[in-house]
Amino acid sequence: MTVDQASQIREAVKGFILSEFLPGEDPGELRDDTPLITGGILDSIATLKLVAYVEESFGIDLAPHEADADHLNTISDISRLVESKLQGRP
Amino acid sequence: MARPRWRGVRGRVGANMSGERAAESAALAAGPDSVPDLLERLWERVGKFLLLALQLGLAIIAVYLFEIESRAFLHLSILTFFGFALHYFLPLPLRLPFFLALSLAGIVLVFGLETASWLVALGLGLFGIAHLPLGYRARVGLLLATAGLLACLRVGWAPVPWSAAVWPILGSMFMFRMAVYLYDTKHEKQPAPWSQRLAYFFLLPNVCFPLFPVVDYKTFRRTYYDGERHQIYQVGMLWIVRGIVHLVLYRFVYYYCTIAPAEVASFGDLARYMLATFLLYLRVSGQFHLVVGMLHLFGFNLPETHHLFYLASSFNDFWRRINIYWKDFMMKLFYYPAYFKLRKRGPTTALVISTLIVFAGTWLLHSYQWFWLRGGFPITLQDGLFWAVLGGLVVANSLYEAKYGRARSLGRRTRTLAENLSLGLRTAGTFASICVLWSLWNSESVSEWLALWSAAARGVPESGSHSGWAPTAFAAVIAGGTLGPPRRSPTGSTPRAAGKGFLRDAARALGWIIPLCVIGLPPVYTRLGSTVADAVDTLKRARLSDHDAAQLQKGYYEDLVRVDRFNSQLWEVYMNRPVHWEIIYETPAGRLTGDIAYIDLVPSVTTQFHGKAFTTNSHGLRDQEYALAKPPGTVRIAMIGSSHVVGEGVGDGETFEAKLEQLLDAASAPDAAPRYEVLNFGIGATTPLEILVRLERKVFDFAPDAVFWVAQAIDVDQLVTRLIEVRKRGLEIPYDALRETLDQAGVSPDTAESVAQRLLRPYAPGLLRWVYQRVVEETRARGAVPVWIFLPRVAERIEPSKIDQLALIAQEAGFVVIDLSGMYAGLDVDAIRVAEWDNHPNARGHELIAQRLLEALRVNSARIPLGLSSSSDSVSRNDESRQAMESR
Repeated sequence: MTVDQASQIREAVKGFILSEFLPGEDPGELRDDTPLITGGILDSIATLKLVAYVEESFGIDLAPHEADADHLNTISDISRLVESKLQGRP
Repeated sequence: MARPRWRGVRGRVGANMSGERAAESAALAAGPDSVPDLLERLWERVGKFLLLALQLGLAIIAVYLFEIESRAFLHLSILTFFGFALHYFLPLPLRLPFFLALSLAGIVLVFGLETASWLVALGLGLFGIAHLPLGYRARVGLLLATAGLLACLRVGWAPVPWSAAVWPILGSMFMFRMAVYLYDTKHEKQPAPWSQRLAYFFLLPNVCFPLFPVVDYKTFRRTYYDGERHQIYQVGMLWIVRGIVHLVLYRFVYYYCTIAPAEVASFGDLARYMLATFLLYLRVSGQFHLVVGMLHLFGFNLPETHHLFYLASSFNDFWRRINIYWKDFMMKLFYYPAYFKLRKRGPTTALVISTLIVFAGTWLLHSYQWFWLRGGFPITLQDGLFWAVLGGLVVANSLYEAKYGRARSLGRRTRTLAENLSLGLRTAGTFASICVLWSLWNSESVSEWLALWSAAARGVPESGSHSGWAPTAFAAVIAGGTLGPPRRSPTGSTPRAAGKGFLRDAARALGWIIPLCVIGLPPVYTRLGSTVADAVDTLKRARLSDHDAAQLQKGYYEDLVRVDRFNSQLWEVYMNRPVHWEIIYETPAGRLTGDIAYIDLVPSVTTQFHGKAFTTNSHGLRDQEYALAKPPGTVRIAMIGSSHVVGEGVGDGETFEAKLEQLLDAASAPDAAPRYEVLNFGIGATTPLEILVRLERKVFDFAPDAVFWVAQAIDVDQLVTRLIEVRKRGLEIPYDALRETLDQAGVSPDTAESVAQRLLRPYAPGLLRWVYQRVVEETRARGAVPVWIFLPRVAERIEPSKIDQLALIAQEAGFVVIDLSGMYAGLDVDAIRVAEWDNHPNARGHELIAQRLLEALRVNSARIPLGLSSSSDSVSRNDESRQAMESR
């Protein structure tokens, strides 16, 4: 996984979150470490939408226990999860 | 640069302690500084601690002054204070082991060494099974089997060597958390240290709060010192204070706002009933704030729960705010696994089914929780309906949100006027809907709940006094929804700046706790006028409300009393009660007659009842043997009444009836043969109706010279309740007047109880008057003296006017009246009652009653000619009345 690829993942996820859940918000306000689940931006419905998006966009499968704040709380967390899945690591 | 002492801890304690580490690293790394820097460091290291300690100390004073929760909680709070002080100065690696040790010490403090040892041993046993070197499924299977075994013991299938008090706390610590623990540890990449794993179960506050069963294990780990530590502590302090305020508010609602279902007679009453029922949830909210706040003091930066839940603007919003720990538990173990399995069928189908599974599971798991608290597994239609309707509403709301989304913001957004109004109306609509649903959940049955609406629709003009504040409360909700603070995340804590946030939160906490402490001081509130002083004094006392006290008494009469999670004060009393605390007819000494007499005592039986010897004579009286024919020269007194007279909770020979006989004999000439016989015609769980029947069927055969009718404040209500039950069961009522009154009131066998109560209530004084007149007529017709003795229950709070009303009815009926209502004044309640869950007098209490009765008989010797001389040192009638008045 190159730096460019990781950056692309973060940008894609950020774009999805902004368009789907935060329309009209300043993109600069959404940082890579902005808390999404503990910050109340992603509720259960939004989390499942995000899961579906990530699985479809990156061709990976997520497990139920990964739909939580440990794995999806920030854009960085999401990116790390996707990267690890793409690299075939558990 | 100094080497941080905790280097290398990261991997062992948790993944997120960057805030704590960074702050302490900066402090340790700092070299010699200027004066301002030194002051800054002094403030950081000592000043903040002192400010926190001040707040915690004041909070404990408030807990003491307002008797918040229990005496055990006060002790635990003091332990927490000293624990916090030590913990604060410990190096980070020692804090978790210290917290665990403090938690175990808390269990010993509350339960004593023996019970605490059992609790900890059982807990360690469960924990040990979870860590056996077996496969995951084998460990789960073993734990399920162990839980099944414990469940069998919980319902009393076999005796256990530990106290019943262990069950609720053990259940709270392990019966849900173990499921989360197994689930999370199955997937965890880096195991937590043992101290953290054990601390997860043996949480310090849990020993006083069995209603706090669920914490998410991952969150528990992830949030441990995940921010600046003073800010974590301070937020905890703020929540502790908020919890205390919630609990004082709860007490206000509990004492002053609740009404019984039978009192609902208009839509105003109905609104008040529903509002008060929902507002009683402040107790749970307050407890959760206390628990989570206390955990914050030890670095567990757990998210806020019950955040402005009364101001939820939709059903989803309500679900996300009220008990987020429960919500997270259900999401993790039910919602996401179900959704992931079902999503092949499409997201909408998966969402609907998963949500419904969550609510069905919540319904069942509430009963499961109740099982460990009380030992029963209640499954009721109204529970099912509540969760089904709420689940349906959340599904509808979720589908809407899935399709149209909901407003989210990265920062605080300014709302337009129209948005504010819309939000206010949605908030009020949600609040009103939840109130209605909550009342259904709380009702005794669906038919009883529907009867509330019928009663409200029929309307009774004079009941309007109940309804005044209901519209005000709804208006407050609309205002809160419209003008309230901008809503922040309900699912997590907002990161705060360490400096400003700390001082601001400290100011807020002190702003609440200082006034609370000041107004709780007797020299202060007693100078604020009698109305305010009475109100504050009432709020400071932890006791059962009048309604719950009546329910407790009802429990002595029938095992049908609804003691559940909704009348939390009452179930706490019941929680400590042994599982098998029988009614007399459940023992060999009693039997149901199947007719209007209801219960009879079986002759010549010796058994144990409530842990005491209980013997009946050949006549079926709890007494020594007496000949049916009165011996010559004997004064015979028939003592008749219910559980107090028969002496529930005391042994043979310890009843006040037996003691009075001894005192009377001792008062007569020393060389004379016994001149007095006091016969005990008491039977527990009987009301004035059955006592009248017993008088006519049995007592007069013994030719008494006097009949002592022992009355209690609850007699009117019990008479009404029994008459309704008799009519419902179709039993023959041998008294025309009572039958006609039931007919006149419109009470039929099919009438729902709350409706029948409402219909018969206006006739209640007349019914009692009729019973008393009948007793007096029948007694005087046989040449005996009818004496009416008012005997209060221990720990009973009775309106003086109620006693006066009863005494007047008795006096007008022709009784000689003796009022002992003030006899327990100034005495330590626990020293004279059987147990916390049983307000009958113990042996000491019975002795006191006998002594006071003897004094009263001396005073009334002219009107009750038993051959007693009026003693100069006895209490005069005026003194008696004065003492009664003083005690009121």
